Amino acid sequence: MGSVDVFTPVLMGIMLGGLYALIALGLSLVFGVMRLINLAHGDLVILSSYISYAIFTYLAVDPILGLVITIPFMLLLGFLIQKYILGRGFAISSETPLIIAFGISLVLQNLNQILWTPLSRGLNTSYSHMSFFIGERQFPVSYLLAFLAGIVVMVGLRAFLTRTYMGRAITAASQDKRAAQLMGINTNRIYGYAFAIAMGAAAVAGVFLGMTFPFTPTSGISFLTIAFGTVVIGGLGSMLGTFLAGIILGLSQTLGGYLFGSASQMLIVYVLVLAILAIRPHGLLGR
Amino acid sequence: MIFSKREPLLIFAGFVALILASLPVVGAPESWLVYLFLFFIYLAMANMWNLLAGYAGLISLCQPAFLGLAGYAMTVGTWVGIPWWIGLIGGGIVAAVFALAISTAVFRLSGVYFAIGTLVVPEALRMVFYLWRPVGGQMHGAGAGYMVKGIGDLSGDVIYWLALVVALSSVVLMRLILRSELGLGLAAIRDNERSAASSGINIFKLKLYTFIIAAAVTGLAGGVFYLNQGYVEPTATFNVKWTMTLLLATVMGGLRTEEGPILGTIVVVVLYFLLARYGGYSFLIQGLILIGIMLLSPQGIIGLLRRLHLPAAGRVRGF
Repeated sequence: MGSVDVFTPVLMGIMLGGLYALIALGLSLVFGVMRLINLAHGDLVILSSYISYAIFTYLAVDPILGLVITIPFMLLLGFLIQKYILGRGFAISSETPLIIAFGISLVLQNLNQILWTPLSRGLNTSYSHMSFFIGERQFPVSYLLAFLAGIVVMVGLRAFLTRTYMGRAITAASQDKRAAQLMGINTNRIYGYAFAIAMGAAAVAGVFLGMTFPFTPTSGISFLTIAFGTVVIGGLGSMLGTFLAGIILGLSQTLGGYLFGSASQMLIVYVLVLAILAIRPHGLLGR
Repeated sequence: MIFSKREPLLIFAGFVALILASLPVVGAPESWLVYLFLFFIYLAMANMWNLLAGYAGLISLCQPAFLGLAGYAMTVGTWVGIPWWIGLIGGGIVAAVFALAISTAVFRLSGVYFAIGTLVVPEALRMVFYLWRPVGGQMHGAGAGYMVKGIGDLSGDVIYWLALVVALSSVVLMRLILRSELGLGLAAIRDNERSAASSGINIFKLKLYTFIIAAAVTGLAGGVFYLNQGYVEPTATFNVKWTMTLLLATVMGGLRTEEGPILGTIVVVVLYFLLARYGGYSFLIQGLILIGIMLLSPQGIIGLLRRLHLPAAGRVRGF
C-alpha cells in the first residue's frame, strides 16, 4: 500500500471486516435459527463466486448486476438443500445434519474443481482494480464495495427479521421452537426460508469476495473458518454483533500483518478465534 | 473374561490376524500389501473417530492435527538423531499432549461449537508448519516439508507389521474401553448426560480421557503412515480429506457400533482404489455416498444388516 503508518492497516481492516461480516451473516442466521453450524457455508459462498464468474465471463454481465441471477439461484438451492437433505437429517439425530453438511461441503469443493479446474480465479471487473485515495494513501475500491455491501445486507437482514411477518416467524422459531409451533408457525417451512435467505446472503458475499480476493475450489474452508470466528465473537444469530465481530477479525488480520509480517496474518486470526473460544465459549458479545 | 462367550469369534479373529501378518513372508503381491497397509492405518484412525463421535459424543474434526503432529514429531526427530522408533512413540505422546493442551479451549464448547472449534485447529497448524521450520535442511522455502531420515535399512515388511499392530491394538482397545468403567460411563453420558452427572460421573474427565487416548492412537497410526510415505509436508498432512476419510469409514460402516469402522474402512479402501483414477470425482462420489448413507441408513451398513434381520448381523452384534 505504500505508506507505512498505522492508518492504512486500520482502514483496510475495517473494510475487510465488512466483507468478513458479509460472509458470516448467512452462517449466523442458520446458526441462530437452526442451531446448525453449516460446514458447507464457505463452499456455498465460493459456489456463488464461481456462478458470478461464469455469468461475468460467458455472458459478459457485470457481477453486481449478475446478482439478479445469482441470488434467486442460491435462494432456490438453499431451500431445496434444507427441504430435501438437511431437514430430513434433523429428524434423525442432532449430529446428522452436521455430518451431512460436511458431505455437502466436499461435494461442492470437488464439483467446483471439476467444473472450473483448480486454477485460481477472480472477478476482474473494470472497477475492481481501481483505487481511491485518502491523502497520500491508496485503497482498493473492491474493499470499499464489499464493506458497503456488508452494511446493506446487515441492515436489510435486521429489518427483515424485525419488521416482516416471515422475519418475525423466523425469529420466533429460533427463540422457542415449540412455542412458535403452538402459535401456528410451520417451523419446517420457516427453516427452509431461513436457509434460503442465508444462501441469498451467501450469493452477495460470493460476488464481493470474488472481486476482492482470488479464489480456488478449496478456498471455502478458510472462509468458513473466518465466518465461524466472526459468528463466535459476535454471539449467536446477532446481526449487529456479527458485523462488529467481522471488523474485529479484519482489524486483527491487517494489524497482525502490519506488525508481524503478512505471511503470518491468517495464523493470527486462527489463534485469535481459538483464544476467544477458550476464554468466552459463547462469544465476546454473546450471553 | 471379556471374550468368554465369544471364543469362536476370538479364534477366528486370531486366525485372520495370523494370515494378515504372514502375507509379506509368503510373497503376497505388492499391491495387496499396499491396500492392506492403508486399510490398517485408516482402521485405527476410524476406530478412534468412532470412539470420539459415536461413544463420547465429540464430533472431532481435528484428527489431522494429531496424525500430522505425530508425523512431524517423528520426522523432525530423525533430523536431530532420534531413532525413528522412539520418534514414533514420541509422536503418539506429542499428539496426546497436544490433545490435552487444546482441550482447555475446545472442551468449553459443546455440540456443533466443538465440531467447528476443532475444525480450526488443523487449519492453524497448517499455517504454523508452512511458516516454521523447526530444524534446518537442504530444502528451503515455506511448506517444503521434511524427508524421514535414517530409515534406509527399514524394510517395507516391518512398516506393514507396525501398521497391522496399530490396527489390531485399536480394535482390542475399543473392546477394552467399551467394557471398562470409562466405556460404561460414556454410555451413561450418551443416554442422558444430566442423569449421568447426577449419578456421580465426571463427564469432563471421561471425555478428556477419551480425547487423549484417541489422539495418541491416531498419532501412532499417523507416524506409521509417514514412516511409509518417507516425507511429511503441511498441505496434505493438515488436510480436511483425512477427516473426510475417517468420517466416511465410520459412518458408512455404522457409527456407534464396534464392527462398523471395520466394514466401513474396507469399503473406503476399495472405493479409494476404484476411484483413484477419476481424481476429483472420487471425493465427489464419496461425499454423495456420505450424504446418502446419513439419510437412508444413519446406522450404516451394520444398521442396514440389523434392520434386515440377517443372521450374520445377529452374530456380529455389539454386546
